[in-house]
Amino acid sequence: MMQVIIDALSNGGLYGLAALGVGLVFGVMRLINFAHGELITCAAYLLVVCLPWGLLPAILISLAAGTVLALLLELGVFSRLRGADPAVLLIASFGVSVLLQRAYEAIFSAFPRSGQAAAWLSEVWDVGGSQISRGSVVTVVLTLALLGGMKLAIEHTPAGLQLRAASSDFKTAQLLGVRSSRVIAAAFAASGLLAAVVGFIVFTQRGQVDPQFGVNITILALVGTVIGGLGSLMGAAVGGMAVGATISVLSNALGNDRIYTYSVLFLLVIVVLLVKPSGIFGQATLKERV
Amino acid sequence: MHSNSLLTVRGLTAGYSGLAVVFDADLIVEPGEMVGIVGPNGAGKSTLLGAIGGAVKATGGEVRFRDTNVLGMKPESIVRRGLALVPEGRHIFTDLTVAENLQLGLTARRDRSSRAQAMAAMADLFPVLKTHADHKAGHLSGGQQQQLAIARALVAEPDVIMLDEPSLGLAPTVVRDVFGVMAEIRARGTAIVVVEQRAHLVIGTATRTHVLREGRIRDTLTPAEENDEARLAHAYFGTELSTP
Amino acid sequence: MTAGATLRVDPELKATAPDRHLRGVTQWRWTEVLGPLVLLVTATYACASVSPGMTFMVEGALALLVMVLALQIFIGNSGVLSFGHGSFALLGGFTTGLLTMPSLIKVNALDGLASVLQHAHANMVTGIVAGVVVASVVACVVGAFLMRLHGLAAGIATFAVLMVTDNVFFNSRTLGPGPQVMPQIPRFPTLEGSLALAAVSIVIAYGAGVCRAGRLLRASREDYLAAQALGVSVWRLRLLFFVLSGAMAGLAGAMYAHHSAAISARDYYLQFTFLTLGMLIIGGAGSVWGAVVGCAVVTGLSQVLLHLEQGLQIGNLIFTIPDGVSGMVIAGTLVVVLLWRSTGLTKGREFRLPRIGR
Repeated sequence: MMQVIIDALSNGGLYGLAALGVGLVFGVMRLINFAHGELITCAAYLLVVCLPWGLLPAILISLAAGTVLALLLELGVFSRLRGADPAVLLIASFGVSVLLQRAYEAIFSAFPRSGQAAAWLSEVWDVGGSQISRGSVVTVVLTLALLGGMKLAIEHTPAGLQLRAASSDFKTAQLLGVRSSRVIAAAFAASGLLAAVVGFIVFTQRGQVDPQFGVNITILALVGTVIGGLGSLMGAAVGGMAVGATISVLSNALGNDRIYTYSVLFLLVIVVLLVKPSGIFGQATLKERV
Repeated sequence: MHSNSLLTVRGLTAGYSGLAVVFDADLIVEPGEMVGIVGPNGAGKSTLLGAIGGAVKATGGEVRFRDTNVLGMKPESIVRRGLALVPEGRHIFTDLTVAENLQLGLTARRDRSSRAQAMAAMADLFPVLKTHADHKAGHLSGGQQQQLAIARALVAEPDVIMLDEPSLGLAPTVVRDVFGVMAEIRARGTAIVVVEQRAHLVIGTATRTHVLREGRIRDTLTPAEENDEARLAHAYFGTELSTP
Repeated sequence: MTAGATLRVDPELKATAPDRHLRGVTQWRWTEVLGPLVLLVTATYACASVSPGMTFMVEGALALLVMVLALQIFIGNSGVLSFGHGSFALLGGFTTGLLTMPSLIKVNALDGLASVLQHAHANMVTGIVAGVVVASVVACVVGAFLMRLHGLAAGIATFAVLMVTDNVFFNSRTLGPGPQVMPQIPRFPTLEGSLALAAVSIVIAYGAGVCRAGRLLRASREDYLAAQALGVSVWRLRLLFFVLSGAMAGLAGAMYAHHSAAISARDYYLQFTFLTLGMLIIGGAGSVWGAVVGCAVVTGLSQVLLHLEQGLQIGNLIFTIPDGVSGMVIAGTLVVVLLWRSTGLTKGREFRLPRIGR
């Protein structure tokens, strides 16, 4: 039972981080970034490749890689699509995602690359007779700490205020002197960093990387962002957490039918959207005034 | 034309997606002046203001603010130089608090030191904002939101503040308050450019009021000419007022 | 005010003719239908005459074209992005597949099937029609709920539909082959079958855009509140177009089944969805011409790249590119086209004969 709760929390935290990464970029650019998964994958690949040099250097390099790649995507592609139709932005990000996946295939081959990041995470702790996986606990602590830190940064610093304003109403923020390019670049960099952390955690869980490493979690992170409320940064995080926790709980609850977890999850998503289309924390005022 | 005016606009042409809306606009603003822009619906008043402030793409002409040509600059650069635009429709950040909205206004402030004093000055000028400081801005009434929008622009202490239809959607008493605040701002040395649908609010008090019709400035009136209806009608409609 | 909406005649401005560049059509113009049809027929026969391999390729491309047209009917007219149409294609393909595959094979290979599915059998025409009907009915039910949503909420909701459909059909052995392949589906006897279906789809898609309902729907896309104020029930219009496009997606799915002879749930999943959406957006979602151009360009490009990967011989020289590069180039092209012209290669306009003189 304890493990179920921990699992739900750890999965929730993980997806919350992923969703926040997606939500940051969506907030400032109204871009649903399918390529976010490839940021996760990139960080995981670099982690594997650099592991022989030691865990800490590998982690640092992979964090840097995620951040840098995110910035490159913004500079190279998305900055040229400012103000484009959301459909175009979405398809473009999907194009970039496919492009990167093929690139990873070309560079690293389609076969998974294995590695052991932190062996002690796979072991268990004995807590009052029941055994809890260390990996789960560490994930819970790490993700919730990061989410808490991001919340502080977003809600209590001037930079965070500018980011929130830009996410809410980009043009008006500009008229107040908020430096648009810097805010967007900062959002991308932060999203890349968060993606790298997600990549690290998932890698420790799976033990291997392949070109499609980040795809599944990104789809769910995107869903979490929309559920949580578009335009609200912490809403995205909460949405992601809800999705992650729900998957975890459903998997446990459905038992033999757990292959249908996604069906139940997505039916719930549809229900949420029908009841509150702008998302749980979404601003209903995202539609224009007459 | 004075080339050393605070704000000089010459031959400005601007519009959207290749369709020009404003043609060849000229205007000047000196320190402490209030310049009005009136005209019928769709004349291009908001576009003109937007083009000066960098929010709308300009295709020709020149906008000199304190001796620098700001045409083509990003809006955030322009406001950081001291030329602020308060667009039509208030546009406050509804999910942020009143205090946070004001704090954002500080972003464009040139004088980094006296921020606390600036905020205090706003509390004086707009007491209602002080009372609601920690409330979500979305909960304010229309008039209060308009005051917040103006305060937010003012807290950066711009040299020129451009207001687009500040009276839009507001009750008459509230409009009186807002215009009272504008007089106070002007007395404190900030120049104002104000676009208004209701010409009568502006012509009598502005230093000079331009009438825009179909993208061009047709006439300029002074307070002395406030009651010259024939002239106003001609500028608005391009015809004489005829009595049957 | 939307750009291009009103043009006043001002004596000081040059008087301009009524704007013919309004997105989409407002009346039936034969050139606009014939253009895509001519391209369809010539491209099909040109490729088919090269080799049987190319004929096979073209047959597959025709199924994709019908899918892209289905997407255009809904997305182009309503302005709402839908990721769920792959579900309707799946339903169309699975229905006709289950109905037309040889009973003996069905009994052996798909033993978990529900008995009604196990025993049903029909010929190809009936199978395709049944596929279209099933897809339409499901689209109607789904649309009844989802058409209240706008923008991104609608997009994600339709995406959820795709996810549910894939999850169910990939795993369920009572409704289909589950994770495995549905084998031995009879293939189209001639290329003309697919060609005729594609041609009819072009005409239907064009008609949908031009008819009064289509124009009203497009008005709602531009200004939702104004359309409602005119008494337009946007929900009903969207539902109508959703069902029509769902039906056509079912047709596309059925066409794909009879082309590929062996299908599985994953054939109608993410790759299929984004390939067809990409074709539409590259070509221009606003018009039928855009759908056709997009499909043709992407198909043509991927064929060229595939041949280059295999080694293209021109005279004494062999051109080749490394394996895997073709995937990257196609995705890269998609991004480049979007950067360059976000309304698509056709800018959302219908086919127009080049003007001579003027």
